[in-house]
Amino acid sequence: MIVDFVQNTLDGIFVGSSYSLLAIGFTLIFGVMRRLNLSYGPSIMLGTFAGTLLFVEFEAGLLAVAAATLAGAVLAGVYVERVCFWAIRRGAALASMVSSFAIWMQLEEIVTVVFPDRTYPFPPLADFALEPGPFFVRGDHLVMFACAAAITVLLHLLLYRTRFGLALRAVSRNPAAAAFVGINTGLVLFSAFALASAIGGVAGYLIAAADQQITPFFGLWATFKGLIAMTLGGMGSIPGAIAGGLLLGIIEAHSGWYLGTEYRDLSAYAVLFAFLVFRPGGLFAQRQTLRSQLAARRV
Amino acid sequence: MDEYLVQVLSNIGMISFLALSAYILLITGEISFGQQAFFAIGAYASGIATAMWGWGFWPGLVWGAAAAGAAAFLLAWPTLRMRGLFFAIGTLAFAEMVRLIFEIFRYQVEIDGELVGPNGSEGFRGIRYIFEQDISAFHYMLLIYAVLAGVLALLFVIERTRLGAIWRMLGEDELLAETEGVNRTYYKVLATVVAGAVAGIGGALYAHMNTYLEPKIFNVMLGVHSLAYGLIGGLGTAFGPLIGVGIDIGLLESARIFSGYRMIVFGGLVALLLIFRPRGLLDEAAVHALVAWWRNTFSSPAKRSGGSGRPPERPGA
Repeated sequence: MIVDFVQNTLDGIFVGSSYSLLAIGFTLIFGVMRRLNLSYGPSIMLGTFAGTLLFVEFEAGLLAVAAATLAGAVLAGVYVERVCFWAIRRGAALASMVSSFAIWMQLEEIVTVVFPDRTYPFPPLADFALEPGPFFVRGDHLVMFACAAAITVLLHLLLYRTRFGLALRAVSRNPAAAAFVGINTGLVLFSAFALASAIGGVAGYLIAAADQQITPFFGLWATFKGLIAMTLGGMGSIPGAIAGGLLLGIIEAHSGWYLGTEYRDLSAYAVLFAFLVFRPGGLFAQRQTLRSQLAARRV
Repeated sequence: MDEYLVQVLSNIGMISFLALSAYILLITGEISFGQQAFFAIGAYASGIATAMWGWGFWPGLVWGAAAAGAAAFLLAWPTLRMRGLFFAIGTLAFAEMVRLIFEIFRYQVEIDGELVGPNGSEGFRGIRYIFEQDISAFHYMLLIYAVLAGVLALLFVIERTRLGAIWRMLGEDELLAETEGVNRTYYKVLATVVAGAVAGIGGALYAHMNTYLEPKIFNVMLGVHSLAYGLIGGLGTAFGPLIGVGIDIGLLESARIFSGYRMIVFGGLVALLLIFRPRGLLDEAAVHALVAWWRNTFSSPAKRSGGSGRPPERPGA
């Protein structure tokens, strides 16, 4: 009993760390632009297919596959930024969102034209497992968790210890004022987008390596898992994205185990809906609103 | 008429209900990713009514619309406080819950030695009313368009009345509308219910044309598409969403030259369109310009000489 519970929680945390990674990229874009990029998952999907192309055609090594995945995701992300965000004027958030949906359709079709089969193999990363006591932990899940932690720390340092991070936070808080003090807001937005896509690429690579296969449906899956995790944690908050991802993983693991697999996604959406009704600011709502109230008073 | 053409036109007609449903919420300023849920509820409710309870088609259609409207009424309350993106994600979560509930929803009765009714993810087979009544595909298509014309007429009447003005006012600036004394709660709930019922009618028509329902088809893709139609066609009039549906299903899905590349073309086209016309082809400004042009060109000469005498405006100017 208790072993099952702990094992499920562990599984949830490890799977959840991949959701966290997806949510971090998502929340970074949302936090800076205040617009939703539905094409986030599909551009990661395009990256993983670039990786698999190298693997299937040229039997490339791990590093080359990882690099191709990352490069593909960033390239696709930059394309999305130019077409859906840069080209559409500020304020038309709705148009940006629909436009990113249109580009999603485009990316998905490009992938299915080039890769007509349903699934493609992806090279595994760490094919070992640990068995501490009665528990079972997959090696690739451990790597995923470590990567999520490392990216969180690096991102925190970047945002709070560098000039670029300062500029990014300034643009996020007030784009007009940021432009007024001489920040190149266009460049900052572009870099934030590329950075988010790179983080998404890492997430995509780790998830694909853990599953050892990819399908064009990965785009939809990644967008919605990222979106749910981001909303649970509070939109635009990076600690929230991490907590939200872990929470989503744990909810899924437990409901899948105790209620049956057909209730897994249903419970996740039910919790999401409950959060939106009772706690729309996400897990860390209180602190966030207080801080922004203080900031507003200072201005 | 060619069988394929009839099928394409019927699909355009049915999806138009969903697009109109999303449009009603769009003009009140809400983005819904979840209208496909009401389409699904309408489809299941009317299918159950005709195939299992032995109801006629029209009572089944009304029942489907009513069930979808009632579900929308229930959804309207918890989502009332959600704004913008939160509303979009809330409706998305709701619609996915509805779809997943239909995946496990089982309710079957034996009719003529055969089990009929929704059977979880196996789907809902045997909604055969149209076959049994010997209604041809062509006549059913005419029926779809007759109902669509009715709904469109209703929407045009609404747009000309106080209700339409209030909906657009709420869409433009909620706070301002409230300071003018608009009861936000009442009008938002009303919009959600009307939008739900319109989607429910579409679902009922869909169920009887396809005779078979599968929870899978009511996924979020359907909802996001129907939302996109309004934005492609334009939010100026109820014709906008129909133009969007026509462009996607009529032009791209059906023209065989695009087969395999449809979404590459569609995606690129929509992205380009949104850069140059962020509120769609027939947006509010275009509609006003068209109406002004119409009045200036076709009104009686006596009226025109008595008017301000300004030159006729060109459409799109």
